[in-house]
Amino acid sequence: MNLTDPAIEIEGLVKRYKSTTALAGLDCVVPSGAITGLLGPNGAGKTTLFRSLLGLTRTDAGRILVLDQEIPRGLVGVTKKIGAIIEEPGLIRALTGRVNLHVAADQLGFGHERIDELLEFVGLQGDAGRKVDEYSKGMRQRLALAAALIGDPQLLLLDEPLDGLDPAGQMAFRARLREIADSGQTVVVSSHDLADIEALADYVVVLNHGKLVTEGPLEDMLSGGFTRVVTDNSDAALAALSTAGIDARQDGGALVVEEEDGSRVVRVLAEAGIYPKEVGPARSTLESVFLGMTGEDDQ
Amino acid sequence: MSLLHAEYLKLSRRRLYYMMVIILAALVGLLAFFLLIFAQIAPELAEGVPVLEKPMAYIFGAQQVAGQTWFPLILAVVMLGSEFGSTVWATALTRDPRRVNQISARFVVLALASLLAIGAGIAGWSIVTAIAVPGEGGPGVDEWLGLVWKVGLIELAWTAIGLGAVALLRSVGPAIGAALALYFIDPILGLWGPWETVSLSAATTSLFQIDFAGGFGVTFMSNLSLPHAVAVILGWTAVGLFLTWWGLHRRDA
Repeated sequence: MNLTDPAIEIEGLVKRYKSTTALAGLDCVVPSGAITGLLGPNGAGKTTLFRSLLGLTRTDAGRILVLDQEIPRGLVGVTKKIGAIIEEPGLIRALTGRVNLHVAADQLGFGHERIDELLEFVGLQGDAGRKVDEYSKGMRQRLALAAALIGDPQLLLLDEPLDGLDPAGQMAFRARLREIADSGQTVVVSSHDLADIEALADYVVVLNHGKLVTEGPLEDMLSGGFTRVVTDNSDAALAALSTAGIDARQDGGALVVEEEDGSRVVRVLAEAGIYPKEVGPARSTLESVFLGMTGEDDQ
Repeated sequence: MSLLHAEYLKLSRRRLYYMMVIILAALVGLLAFFLLIFAQIAPELAEGVPVLEKPMAYIFGAQQVAGQTWFPLILAVVMLGSEFGSTVWATALTRDPRRVNQISARFVVLALASLLAIGAGIAGWSIVTAIAVPGEGGPGVDEWLGLVWKVGLIELAWTAIGLGAVALLRSVGPAIGAALALYFIDPILGLWGPWETVSLSAATTSLFQIDFAGGFGVTFMSNLSLPHAVAVILGWTAVGLFLTWWGLHRRDA
């Protein structure tokens, strides 16, 4: 993950649709060489952001840099380095999978050399001669991924790519994305599904109401600076910590202590005659982080 | 070139074009039967229908087939319109964001495909004429070449109008309705002098420079000079292309 040379930089981005403000001064970065999860509830501005990055919609204010090119001015120079799936796979259902990839390659101005390799990569080599109309949703998503990869792009923008896939399909798709990111390409995946992002992303950008809520490496976000403690006497431990001015809460058989310094927690408890059986960093879920930050209780 | 090839693939690998060609062939076949053969084999039933003779039957047929302007119109509307129902159009722009290039590729391929189909229809008509129509002679090479560019011009105009209609309305049904409204209303408006000078139907008829009034008892519009007719058709083509660009630009922005 490279944050010093980000793949995407966004400053003060504003997009209004008549009375609705889809993006309200958004600032964020997307590191290169990693999978970034763009997370937000429905209507948070994720698709509008994707469309803005690709020059499919005109923004009202702000600045977008994609692969060091200002958008939309530098769009022509940068689109061949970007692969994208917007909202749904942009496939022609009356054509076969293979012909769809031929069309994609032609539209990009690339040759057809990689088509067989990509069909194999997404596991569709046996179905390439079938019409897309006969494909399952998962097959269409995988074909769209192959089409997005046809130019060997530096940046892959995927809008809700796991939406509607069955668990096996999701797992296969995630595995492909991980392979792509491990090869050094930058992947941005939007989703309203917290589990998708938690299972996939290295870096997370959380949007709500068209604004940035938070962004950062997923690990940092989940560790959250808390300490997890297991003792024989939770009530006494809670009281001791409270007396020391440290907030803590019961979480199953353990305590989650709002203190990053585990040694301080141990010292406070030891002074109260409580000796923990386990102490370590508490890992929260993305769900709890997200709900805490967006205040959304319907996710 | 590669955008043109993409459009060629999109058109040639789906059934739509071939179905439309079959319908066109059936229509031209019916026209040829009634206008070239029926009056000969059943003159008592075909009273009032003139017996066409060579060489006029060739050019008349070319005009009849070229007049099937529903072909480029519907082909353009359905081909581009089907891209709006999904994200095919947006996805194409993510691969080449230059709308002018995208529109040009579709325009060229669809107009050429229409020219090919109409040309095949004219060839079919001409074969029937050569075999079954009385009279002597036929158009020379220069006249056949003249037909190619005249038919090509007509295909350009109606393809552009079809693209413009669907780009503005973003839906296949209403776009076909709007374009067919022009198809039917324009000849009627053409009876009014000021409109005749810009009428696509009048210009199309004028391209062939045939006076049919005597034969059918109907006054066909053929009063425009050839340069005037060409200018009118090119003007409609430009209007159609501008509407296509503007419709797509306005919506996408």
